[in-house]
Amino acid sequence: MGLATANDLQADSLLSLSQAKVGCDFRIRFLNGPACEQLRQLGFCESLQVRKLADGRNLICSVCGTRLALSRELANQVMVAVA
Amino acid sequence: MPDPLETIALVGNPNAGKTTLFNALTGAAQRTGNYAGVTVERKSGEFFTPHGRKLQLVDLPGCYALDGSSPDQEITRKTLLGEFPGEARPDLVVCVLDASNLERHLVLALEVIELGLPVVIALNMIDFAEQVGLRLDPAKLAEELGVPVVALQANVGKGVLELKQALRHPFPARPEAPWKSGPEEEIAARRRSRVFQICEVAARRPDHHSSTRSDKLDSWLLHPLWGALAFIGLMLLVFWSIFSFASVPMGWIESLQSLLAERVTTLMPDGDLRGLIVDGIIGGVGSVVVFLPQILLLFFFIGLLESSGYMARAAFLMDGLMGRAGLSGKAFLPLFSSYACAIPGIMATRTIDSAKERLVTIFVAPWMSCSARLPVYLVLVPMLLSGKASTFEQAAIFLAIYALGTLAALGVARLLRGKLGPDEVKHHFMLELPPYRAPQWSYIFRHVGGRGWSFLQKAGTLILAINILLWAAQTYPKSSSDDPAEQLAHSTMGRVGKIVEPIAAPLGLDARTGTAILTSFAAREVFVSSMTQLFRVEQGENDEETWTALRKKLATETWPDGRPMFTLPAILALLVFFIYALQCLPTSAVVAREAGSWRWAAAQFVFMSAFAWLAAFAVFQIGSIFL
Repeated sequence: MGLATANDLQADSLLSLSQAKVGCDFRIRFLNGPACEQLRQLGFCESLQVRKLADGRNLICSVCGTRLALSRELANQVMVAVA
Repeated sequence: MPDPLETIALVGNPNAGKTTLFNALTGAAQRTGNYAGVTVERKSGEFFTPHGRKLQLVDLPGCYALDGSSPDQEITRKTLLGEFPGEARPDLVVCVLDASNLERHLVLALEVIELGLPVVIALNMIDFAEQVGLRLDPAKLAEELGVPVVALQANVGKGVLELKQALRHPFPARPEAPWKSGPEEEIAARRRSRVFQICEVAARRPDHHSSTRSDKLDSWLLHPLWGALAFIGLMLLVFWSIFSFASVPMGWIESLQSLLAERVTTLMPDGDLRGLIVDGIIGGVGSVVVFLPQILLLFFFIGLLESSGYMARAAFLMDGLMGRAGLSGKAFLPLFSSYACAIPGIMATRTIDSAKERLVTIFVAPWMSCSARLPVYLVLVPMLLSGKASTFEQAAIFLAIYALGTLAALGVARLLRGKLGPDEVKHHFMLELPPYRAPQWSYIFRHVGGRGWSFLQKAGTLILAINILLWAAQTYPKSSSDDPAEQLAHSTMGRVGKIVEPIAAPLGLDARTGTAILTSFAAREVFVSSMTQLFRVEQGENDEETWTALRKKLATETWPDGRPMFTLPAILALLVFFIYALQCLPTSAVVAREAGSWRWAAAQFVFMSAFAWLAAFAVFQIGSIFL
């Protein structure tokens, strides 16, 4: 498999935290949106592992052993890839 | 002259355990909870180092970063930078970090280190970190950060002595912050990468995500269906327990009160002084103090929910409902606390980021039926149910009363939130869900004790004074007639009653009830004792008897033309009035302080009183047609 294909695959596998599947582990790739700084202060930093625990109007995920509830709008700004 | 005390500031993320540590160091009993944002004010206390040096300790509200926008974070920033006028910068900062969460909490620690003050790191909740399999190395951490690190477990006092040792003189040198050099706009990124480096060596996490007990509990308690059912069940259980458990100690208070009244009656000759002591003081204050058990229980349950970590889940579950009212889940804790008392509820609104949402929450908080309204409800509700009513029917009516206040509050919040317009900076809902922990009983009990004491103080001062005034107002000036009714009409109270009669009449109430309502504007609880005095009800053996006598008396009361006075619509109107009226001076004072203007408090008072009157008017007029 060529390098180009591998990169494409990686780009394709990126999804926002709000699209991600419940119960799976992901790695945060980058943050994209107006609330980036707020998210980073809360602990959503690049290269950290995150597990999505519940979906809904607000979703719950666990970062570094802490459970956080955050609104869908915020979750849209967190881009993750399957860990 | 002794040197001024050196000041130590406690800083840390919300729910890192600053207040627990503060209490462990100073032996004070500040309120703690397993919920972000319990501390919203600066509190200070004093303690001694092992060498006998006295130090002042300031507990600051938690914050994730020093540039936060909510008022409590501003307090922290200003204190650390020495921006409060007339106040020196702290001499040393103790940065409290949750050991199980260093990846997040270290960011704030780095920011604090950058300020150039001497820093000591308190690595709290070390037990929990080890439980989740984290491999911590405090010595490595100290080496990496260049500041002393003390591992501790503040809730059981482990490591507190070591921390005191670390705070002895000379204070640690001002740490360096090598990551600070570089372009200003990339400082946050540099801090983050530094945190990762440190965590790599000093706090290794197990590679796999293990599912903790809290995770398993949450999968049920935060479930859209089961979670909601559990929430409703829990709230019902809390209210049911308050009403059923409290009845036993309430009986004790009542028998004590009647014993006292009897003693005084036999010991003293008949006269004005005996009347003052038996009717005014013992009867009046006693009928309010009897609610102490219920108030204590309510605060106990709120403490239990906060301390166990469920309160944050409740905020999460309620975010949807609050969202419909234009508020966020963060408004839930302040509003729920207002069921006990609006004052701590209004103070708790400081954790709400959005200023407009905070104002709206403050505005509607008094409509959460507080415990001071309970006496009024307890007297009036049985009158709605003629004859013997089951506990279930009474509980249903109580639930309806609470729902009426709450729904109106949420409706007004929505209207008002729409009126104020959107925020300039959008605030998003995000909330930390702390792991479930066993409640800290000692703090819960101390907190409950403090609340109970302040209630008793209020009963002993404000309510006592009002009762004496009331007694005097209906005793003087004395008329020559022996007929008690004529004497009352002649007294000051009777004359005031005549003035308020035109306001009370459209609600189906007479001058005496109008006067009783008037007296309850300083504190609602006074209504019951005012009614007892104004309707000349004999004090019974205990309060329950007095109330039954009062109810009987009210049921037989008629207008001069012979119509019964307390008809169903009139009682309903009275209830509705008490649900909506803002009859609490201390609440208005706190609102003025928290909202930053007397205008807001005045507007709230006028709006709520007018709304209460109109609602009661509508209930009476419409009720008179149908009932």
